[in-house]
Amino acid sequence: MSVFRFLTILFFSFIGHASAATFHVVIVTASGAESGTRGQSFAGIQTRVERPVRRGVELALFESTTSFAAYGVAAELKIIDLNGQQPIEAQLAQIPTDALVILDLPKSEFYQVARTLDALERITINVRHPDTDLRDQMCLPSLYHTIPSERMYFDALGQFLIYRGWRKVLVVHGPSTRDKERTEILKTSLKKFGAEISDIRQYTLSHHPDDRDKNKPEFLTGGASYDVVAVIDSDKDFGRYIQYSTRRARPVVGDVGLTPVGWHRTLERYGAPQLNERYQKFDRGNPLTSYEAMSDAEFAAWSAIKLITNSLSVAEMEGAVLRPRQILKHPDTQVDLYKGTRGSIREWNHQLRQPILLATGEAVIAVAPMPKFLHPKHYVDTLGLDKPESPCQLN
Amino acid sequence: MIQRQNEKIGITQTLACAVVTLLGLGASIDIAAFEAIITNERSGNAIHISDDGSTNHIAKLCNRPRGMTKGIDNSQVLIACSDDDKVITYNWKTKAIEAEINNVTGAMNLTVHKPTGRLLVTNEGSARASVYDLESGRLIAELPTGLEPDGVAITGDGKLIFVASENAGLIHVFDGATYRPLDVIRTNLRPRRIALSNDELWVSSEMGSRVEIFDTRTRVKTGEVIFAPKGFRSEQMTPVDILFNPNSNESYVALGSANHVAIIDTKTLEITKYILVGRRAWGLGLSPDAQTLIVLNGLSDDFTMIDLNTKRPILTKRAGLIPHSIEVFK
Repeated sequence: MSVFRFLTILFFSFIGHASAATFHVVIVTASGAESGTRGQSFAGIQTRVERPVRRGVELALFESTTSFAAYGVAAELKIIDLNGQQPIEAQLAQIPTDALVILDLPKSEFYQVARTLDALERITINVRHPDTDLRDQMCLPSLYHTIPSERMYFDALGQFLIYRGWRKVLVVHGPSTRDKERTEILKTSLKKFGAEISDIRQYTLSHHPDDRDKNKPEFLTGGASYDVVAVIDSDKDFGRYIQYSTRRARPVVGDVGLTPVGWHRTLERYGAPQLNERYQKFDRGNPLTSYEAMSDAEFAAWSAIKLITNSLSVAEMEGAVLRPRQILKHPDTQVDLYKGTRGSIREWNHQLRQPILLATGEAVIAVAPMPKFLHPKHYVDTLGLDKPESPCQLN
Repeated sequence: MIQRQNEKIGITQTLACAVVTLLGLGASIDIAAFEAIITNERSGNAIHISDDGSTNHIAKLCNRPRGMTKGIDNSQVLIACSDDDKVITYNWKTKAIEAEINNVTGAMNLTVHKPTGRLLVTNEGSARASVYDLESGRLIAELPTGLEPDGVAITGDGKLIFVASENAGLIHVFDGATYRPLDVIRTNLRPRRIALSNDELWVSSEMGSRVEIFDTRTRVKTGEVIFAPKGFRSEQMTPVDILFNPNSNESYVALGSANHVAIIDTKTLEITKYILVGRRAWGLGLSPDAQTLIVLNGLSDDFTMIDLNTKRPILTKRAGLIPHSIEVFK
């Protein structure tokens, strides 16, 4: 009967509560629409981890067991894997009215699903896409973003460069449309904090001798004065070859080298080691090694569930159902992100405000906001679009 | 010694002078007003400091010593060695480790109920607290909690046990005799430390930037102190340790990453002063005469002594690596 694979997992938690309110969590995926090479570059080289976010969701539900018991909540997780051959509306219509819907979808599927669910008045969470258009233009009343926006990532990087006194930035970007769009966002962030762009150069993958100035890192980064090289390489095609090959001995930041991230396996403080260890071990049938940590998307999915768990004190439970919509609208809604500053929702564009980590593969070098970047209202609101700047005004 | 006296005022000075007069001026006589023991998480040791801030002794202890509490014998402290899964009894007078309780997984914080000789320890990674008989080292009970249990306290009459679960945002309440779970208290984000004063239970909410106060019997919230000093945003306040001054209506709260200590009037719950200390202020200790507050600064690897008469910092001196807990003795 069912037109899609339908999976239900119940997280039972009844201690002292005869009737618990159900917290419906739904993950919407489209495994058929995913690229077969998630996180891989040419020749199958794995350059980053892109896993389904389900493990992050399950970890958050596992962590929430005691709180759910204390507040009389029982969570129910469903996974809907969309079938591209069938009408999307019919598949989505089965999602319970008060569900928290986590969208683990490629960008191509994201727009239609988010719009359809907005029309159906279901609360959706973007956990995968930092793209600014989803916040600034799409700006749906029922859509929330727990993954940081590109502006938040690049603002964090911009603050770090100014903090370190690396004001002259050589920007190197790839040829894709996405690389060019992200370069524009980086430029805006650098300008916002007063960095100076020495030059902007485009890399090419061609090895033809005529393209030497664009494909050899040493030439690509020559003939300019700069303190640091910022690399925009969305597909991780070439950026990893820039470090240690620049004309001048300068650090590399951006998509390689020092990278702004939402989460990292080596964060030592704020309880982060415990969270990382739980992520590796909580699923006893499928443990991960101690090198594994949540990707930014998994962390965003984890954050979405914990936002509800950590805000149960503001929940108005009506009958047998927990209503995420009411919780997310509440001004006191907050979440412990294990990053030293609590997270909360920006009411103007539904973005989860949070610190951004600046990390290499081996260590977290800094946690933005950097010292002395002050905001009149909220400590982390120097990262990303502030209320007056945002084209999206949902409040 | 003279320098120390200059730092004190009023009765202390008068008393100290009287003592000096009585004892004569023999240089070998130790008249230090107090000696404090500080555990250092990362250097795996404890340092002995005297009231002028100087380090007298460094004792190699174990891996990641964190929580510490006074033992039944005044010459002993009990120390949670988190990475060794044990609790050690350290005699600060003889400078020897006298006993060990092993298999205490993820030992985090601890407290002792002296009348019954029981030790209560939180087991950080195992979502529980454990109760031991101190004399024999025997495990008496295991109390299930939410994830990341930290602060633990037992009422003076031994009837109620409170354990904070950082992750769950709850204080678990247990019967101190049967160890049956009695209740849970819902707190703000990330409850860390617990302090008892008469019938009041004070809980620091690290990510909620506040201290919440509950009635120990009814478990009803009776008050709250929200930290928001001028020039800061509330979310930058990350309170951890709470300490009551037995001689006055003051309590002290270390504000973590905000690098300050707050002084609270326990009658009105007003914050009377914020004092700047070192980085990531967590551990708090009070001198036996209640004149000096000692603050451990975990990220600057030092401690700050504050004169509670003038409410000003007197000195900041080097500790070991990541100082965590402090106990102060006469």
